[in-house]
Amino acid sequence: METGLSARMTTGQVWISTAARLALAIVWLVAGGLKVGDLAASGRAVNAYRLFPYEVAKAIGAAQPFLEIALGLLLLAGLAVRLSAGISAGLLVIFIAGIVSAWVRGLQIDCGCFSTGGDLAAGQSPQYTWDLVRDAGFLLLAGILLWRPRTRYSIDGVLMGEQ
Amino acid sequence: MSGKNNRDRAKAKRVVQEQLAKERRRRVTLWTSLGVVALLIIVGLIGWGMATNQETVKTAGLTTPSVAVDEGTAFAVGTGPVKIDVYEDFICPACGRFESGATATIDQLVAANKVTVQYHPIAILDRASSTEYSTRSAAASAAAAQGGKFAEYHKVLFANQPEEGSAGLDDAKLIELGKSVGLTDAAFADAIHKGTYKAWATKVTDTAAARGVNSTPTVLVAGKALPSPTAEALTAAVASAGA
Repeated sequence: METGLSARMTTGQVWISTAARLALAIVWLVAGGLKVGDLAASGRAVNAYRLFPYEVAKAIGAAQPFLEIALGLLLLAGLAVRLSAGISAGLLVIFIAGIVSAWVRGLQIDCGCFSTGGDLAAGQSPQYTWDLVRDAGFLLLAGILLWRPRTRYSIDGVLMGEQ
Repeated sequence: MSGKNNRDRAKAKRVVQEQLAKERRRRVTLWTSLGVVALLIIVGLIGWGMATNQETVKTAGLTTPSVAVDEGTAFAVGTGPVKIDVYEDFICPACGRFESGATATIDQLVAANKVTVQYHPIAILDRASSTEYSTRSAAASAAAAQGGKFAEYHKVLFANQPEEGSAGLDDAKLIELGKSVGLTDAAFADAIHKGTYKAWATKVTDTAAARGVNSTPTVLVAGKALPSPTAEALTAAVASAGA
């Protein structure tokens, strides 16, 4: 009985992790995809946080969409899930810190999370609360995968000889 | 006897298999991790390389209009003592609203010789039109400046501002609007057809970003940005700047 129950729980957990993995993959693919078409604008979005010199912001803004898409593809394929989830979590913590710092400093910016950001025009209000709640949700997905990286339909599973 | 032996052998086999599986997992984890880290670094560098390359391509053949001021990134209107910097994108709706609300005020301040307005036509909304209207219109305004008609052309562009998400105004329309303000020479039409000042528009945009201008309209009076650019805020800031 007990082994049956724990086996069922494990199966359930695997499916929860699988859902988390695919959801986080989509998040990264969308976030990266919306920025990759205009790298200069992505650099300006990073620059809008006023945390880095412009040249540094440009380099970060150029690399970021590609990193996001790569993480999305890795998660979609289920390759190195725990590591990908760990890097995702790290990035999200950095994004959250960036948004909090913009908020604390009273900057009126678009976070550039799913767009190419920048300062807001007069009369527009920042959506920091919503940005933070959303990023915390994504962080939760990454946390689930860090904790239980075993998922269905993953390259990891194939390589480990599980499926 | 033989039964116990078999059980022992089976157990030993299981232990060995488990160890092999564990070893395999460790090997797979190690190599996939290394692979993933290398991949992410390479991908990041590709992004950086692509951005640098795009910038080089977009600013190749840079022609700076000889009439441009402020390190060749702006056009001055008026000669008054208080300096106003206006960073605008010709397709930005908020810029259109600023223009329709503040043009009369700016004209008065210029006519009273109180201010010098430096217009920086930047292109941050190329994605908002299917023809990169931001860059093309900024370049056209440079051609107009070269023809001595920046102020007039700037106004007529905003009066005919295309919607975000549209194709923007085509080159023929840009030339026609030029004619309507007296830019009838071939040099203006030629500059628009050839996109002579497009690289310049990219450079102006980059210079503005380096100065921390991340949105349009950004209006600075005597070097200080107006939190909310309106005609009233502009008048007040110019007055307190001592004109």
